[in-house]
Amino acid sequence: MSHGSTDKCEPNMTPLLDLVLQLVMFFMLCANFVMEQTSAEVKLPEAIAAKALDKDVGDVLFLNVNEKGQVLLTPDQREGDTDTLDNAIQVQGYMGRQAALEKRKTGKDKPQATLILRVDRATPFEKTYAIMKGCRLAGYEKVQLRVIRHSGQES
Amino acid sequence: MPHRRHRDSSNDYVEPDLPITPMLDMSFQLLAFFILTFRPAPMEGQIAMTLPPAEQGGGFSIPDPTAEKPAKYIVNVTATAEGQIQSITLREDGAAAVPRDLGGDVNLYFKELQNFSEQNKNKPVKLTLEIDERLLQAYVVQLIDSGIRAGFLDISPIPSEVKNR
Repeated sequence: MSHGSTDKCEPNMTPLLDLVLQLVMFFMLCANFVMEQTSAEVKLPEAIAAKALDKDVGDVLFLNVNEKGQVLLTPDQREGDTDTLDNAIQVQGYMGRQAALEKRKTGKDKPQATLILRVDRATPFEKTYAIMKGCRLAGYEKVQLRVIRHSGQES
Repeated sequence: MPHRRHRDSSNDYVEPDLPITPMLDMSFQLLAFFILTFRPAPMEGQIAMTLPPAEQGGGFSIPDPTAEKPAKYIVNVTATAEGQIQSITLREDGAAAVPRDLGGDVNLYFKELQNFSEQNKNKPVKLTLEIDERLLQAYVVQLIDSGIRAGFLDISPIPSEVKNR
């Protein structure tokens, strides 16, 4: 007398696993890894006319400015224990030292690096201008103002 | 006479079994982690600017009389105590006309700049923004952005107070 087949009935997991691994890969590649030179504290303003980031810009120096107008130094920019530059005099001194270092390294009479200014949208113009003035006095000329690119269409 | 088959142990068939379940568990955990922490990065862009060289002190240049003088538009912006745009006035440098008061309307400011840019299509044009020091960066960028979109390539944001420049 037959009692039926004893074969095991199992769901086929392979396509499911393929799909899950592909999703994992997608999210891993898109994950927001913390960039060393940018600060998440800074909320950038929006601009329609902003251009895409230029990757062939050469040497760059990031300056993250919070809403109080303080320059937030990243771990590789710190000098001693200070992690912020609080006023125009400190910014000017810091930029002067950076410019001197760069001039010694490149042997040129002017710093060639492009400044990347990431200024918070709530920073008063007085503070931003003081920082730009400090950079100008240190000999820097090229500046990129970082913004969030906006399509111009209201959502 | 039935022949008894001798089984050779070396020919035993062993079905390979790859345990997929732990791998699937781990994959789901990874997937959950990445989905929960996923935040698409906002698209950063750039507005390239050039800082004027630091004052050399005593240096000057003789203007070239053959060089075409750029048409210069001066925009004065005042801010409220909260740092928002209060009023925008426009004037053409050297023109006798009374400065135009646009209130706080950035769209009107953009249209005015567009008109000016079209009137001076074949001439170099310069836009100077004299900005109240309380104005927030979001509005400063909005004013610069409007200038770029209107066709100005040379834009200088400076404080409205002369002593602070």
